[in-house]
Amino acid sequence: MATGIKDRVAILSMGCSRFGERWDVGQEELMAEAYLEALGGSGIDPSMIEAAWYSSHYDDIGAGKAGLPMAQALRLPAIGVTRVENFCAGGTEAFRGAVYAVASGAVDIALAVGVEKLKDTGFAGLPPASRGTFAPMYLPTHTNPGNFSQLARAYGAHHGVSRDDLKRAMAHTSMKSHFNAVKNKNAHLRKAITIEQAVNAPLVADPLGLYDCCPVSDGAACAIVTTPEIARSLGKSAPVLVKAIQLVASNGWEVQQSDWNGAYVHTARIAARRAYAEAGITDPRSQLSFAELHDCFSITEIVTLEDIGLSDEGTAWKRMRDGAFDVDGEMPCQVDGGLKCFGHPVGASGLRMLYECWLQLTGQAGERQLGAPSLALTHNLGGAPAQNVCSITIVGAA
Amino acid sequence: MTGITAIGIHLPRLRLSRAGMAAAMDWLSPRSDARGARTLAFWDEDGITMGVAAARACLAHAPEATRGEIRALSFATTTPVFAEPQNASLVHAALRLPAESIAQDSGGTLRCGLIALHMALEGTGPTLVVAADSPVSPAGSIAESRFGDGAAAVLVGGGPALLAYRGGASLTAPFIERYRAADRALATDWEERWVREEGFLSLVPRAIADALAGAGLVPQDIQHFVLPSVIPGCAKAVAQAAGLSKARLAENLDIECGDTGAAHALVMLARAMEQMQPGERVLVAQFGQGATALILEATDALAGFDPGVAAALAGGIAEANYLKLPIFRGLLAWERGLRGRLPVNEALTTAYRNAEALLGFVGGRSPQTGHVQFPASHIAVAESGFHAQAQEPWPLADRGGTVATATADRLAFSRSPPNCYGLVDIAGGGRLMMDFTDPEAARLAPGDKVHFVFRIKDLDERTGYRRYFWKAVAAAAPIAAAQEKGA
Repeated sequence: MATGIKDRVAILSMGCSRFGERWDVGQEELMAEAYLEALGGSGIDPSMIEAAWYSSHYDDIGAGKAGLPMAQALRLPAIGVTRVENFCAGGTEAFRGAVYAVASGAVDIALAVGVEKLKDTGFAGLPPASRGTFAPMYLPTHTNPGNFSQLARAYGAHHGVSRDDLKRAMAHTSMKSHFNAVKNKNAHLRKAITIEQAVNAPLVADPLGLYDCCPVSDGAACAIVTTPEIARSLGKSAPVLVKAIQLVASNGWEVQQSDWNGAYVHTARIAARRAYAEAGITDPRSQLSFAELHDCFSITEIVTLEDIGLSDEGTAWKRMRDGAFDVDGEMPCQVDGGLKCFGHPVGASGLRMLYECWLQLTGQAGERQLGAPSLALTHNLGGAPAQNVCSITIVGAA
Repeated sequence: MTGITAIGIHLPRLRLSRAGMAAAMDWLSPRSDARGARTLAFWDEDGITMGVAAARACLAHAPEATRGEIRALSFATTTPVFAEPQNASLVHAALRLPAESIAQDSGGTLRCGLIALHMALEGTGPTLVVAADSPVSPAGSIAESRFGDGAAAVLVGGGPALLAYRGGASLTAPFIERYRAADRALATDWEERWVREEGFLSLVPRAIADALAGAGLVPQDIQHFVLPSVIPGCAKAVAQAAGLSKARLAENLDIECGDTGAAHALVMLARAMEQMQPGERVLVAQFGQGATALILEATDALAGFDPGVAAALAGGIAEANYLKLPIFRGLLAWERGLRGRLPVNEALTTAYRNAEALLGFVGGRSPQTGHVQFPASHIAVAESGFHAQAQEPWPLADRGGTVATATADRLAFSRSPPNCYGLVDIAGGGRLMMDFTDPEAARLAPGDKVHFVFRIKDLDERTGYRRYFWKAVAAAAPIAAAQEKGA
């Protein structure tokens, strides 16, 4: 009988590149930035890494397919490198691979790196993801603002929230992340904004305006994982342990049948339920110290707070406006600026969130340190509300 | 006796005002008359999609079983989308006509639609004649403002006739008043006076005389006269020359929609049918490298039949921006951004493998759960459980639906931003993320009723390839309403 991943794997070290419009570097350098930081804090030699997972979503504007780009950029010691791709949950997927490898006992030390070089397209927003040959013949030419604006409209309609009220709640969400990112030297956007600025920004897909959308960024993040015993033997007396990793991919129900109302994310609710069970969490609102949510759009953060039980259904928009998720609120979210301001290099984002959790849980977060947090959650949502891959990871003290 | 058992038309909703055209082009080619408007096909409409729309409107008037009895489809246009493949095969597939049928393209002359109808009336077995056109003329030309875009479809046989066929005649002559080489985009027209005097007034009366003689009728037996011509006063002059001055001259709809080329004789016929009484006869003629004249007699079945022209005319949306015409028709290079450069994957193998789904809009229904889905799949979609029984084909095109979620996306590439799409719950089950189309698509919101229309999905200017799929339009649109009424 499976017992789950709780407490079987420790984060030995992490690293994260500066995110942003990195005209100066390519994927290889970004990976190296994150990797060298992680390696420096790990207390190991590269030859001790036995297996690696590599997350990169776009191979056509990145470094190509397979594990080779990472094996060669980091000059790994002739080990297996597995490329994974699971939309915006790819970084977490790489982490899951490395964690499972260690938990299985097959290896002692494993590496996970996520990277994306998005600013080589020449246009704003994410490039369309390939969908095979059949789906493009009938599905609309969509973008993520278009997909998530549908979530916003449905949420507003379902909960009776006026467009104006929702706009202001979404604006608070973005204002809060901008405020937090000012203290993050690696963040893409480090400028505070006002709620009025966000409300009055040009529309991208009504009701989502420019400040409701995260930027697309270049960046990389990295984790080195091992067993708790080895971590301790390497001098990490209180290593951050993995408490849960859950990942759910839509099976098409939301998008092909009429039961889903479009106002929540079905996979997130399932992933959260399973993750809490795996981690032994019964009351996430009191047990979690903070959360890094996949705030690709302001509305995503609001809806996710409800989907994962950090706010009652239909209340998150109001509690957001009341400051409940500000850095000094009852459940700080996006302490590092989130996707909204730290940035969103697709394949790296899951690992970037874990990087913030690891910094906070080990007291290394500097001027944005949240006291002494004990348990943190990360959430990724890849794809569209109607059809997506959702991951939830929980990490914490032993 | 055989005859016309159903008729339907399609007019694009955009009505480009001639005042708007004049405002843009008068500096180059001033003209005194800028009254009315011409239809302008939206960016995702072409002869194939307009033809399908007209054919659906036509078939909506026929018993459902008739669709399965049609053994011939004739698609007529002077502006074919493809030189190859056969355009009719795509119309055929969108209409889900039986595979056991013959389909053909015809063109080359604005008269091709009426020639196809003549041949169908002289033939046997139920035949669907579809004529659609989108004549393209040089910027600022008189032809550009007088021609419009549109389609008409006529079902011959297969049931009780609305109009019984009494006889017809066609004649052929190398009279070339308008030409366009196969590799050219724009047609060239010759002087109107010559076309009228030496062309229309000489050839059309001869065809009319032949048709009347063949039917054993005299001009006084004709109560309605249909003759498209973009030359002002031409139809009236022909009527006088042919002895038909007592007949009611059918409206040419030049103020409302312009001359729809190969479709226009049939569009005008449909309009005339709104005013005909049982027992009255109509003579339908068209000119072009000769002339065709057909005589049809209204039966009692015509009473109470609505050809839908009034509704189509009423469904227009005023448009004053002339530049939409050359940009929609691909005549002007325009800034589409780097997002608009992405290629269209042809994958003809995939397209054929899924032709019934993509062109016919056929989904699947699980015999285990009863759930409908698009596209069909080996294992049925469900929130939970496992349902692997073979699904039955489930046609969706005529069901319509309700918008569940909607967006107007300003980031996505579109030929008419914003790009509008969302989830549509299909009546009778099933849900699909669909494109919304028509100039007012951005107004669609959750809860709105929609109908489905066959439109261009993507087109690739580099290769000329284009593919088609079904999109949602507001059900309030009069054209769609007419289809529902008939269905």
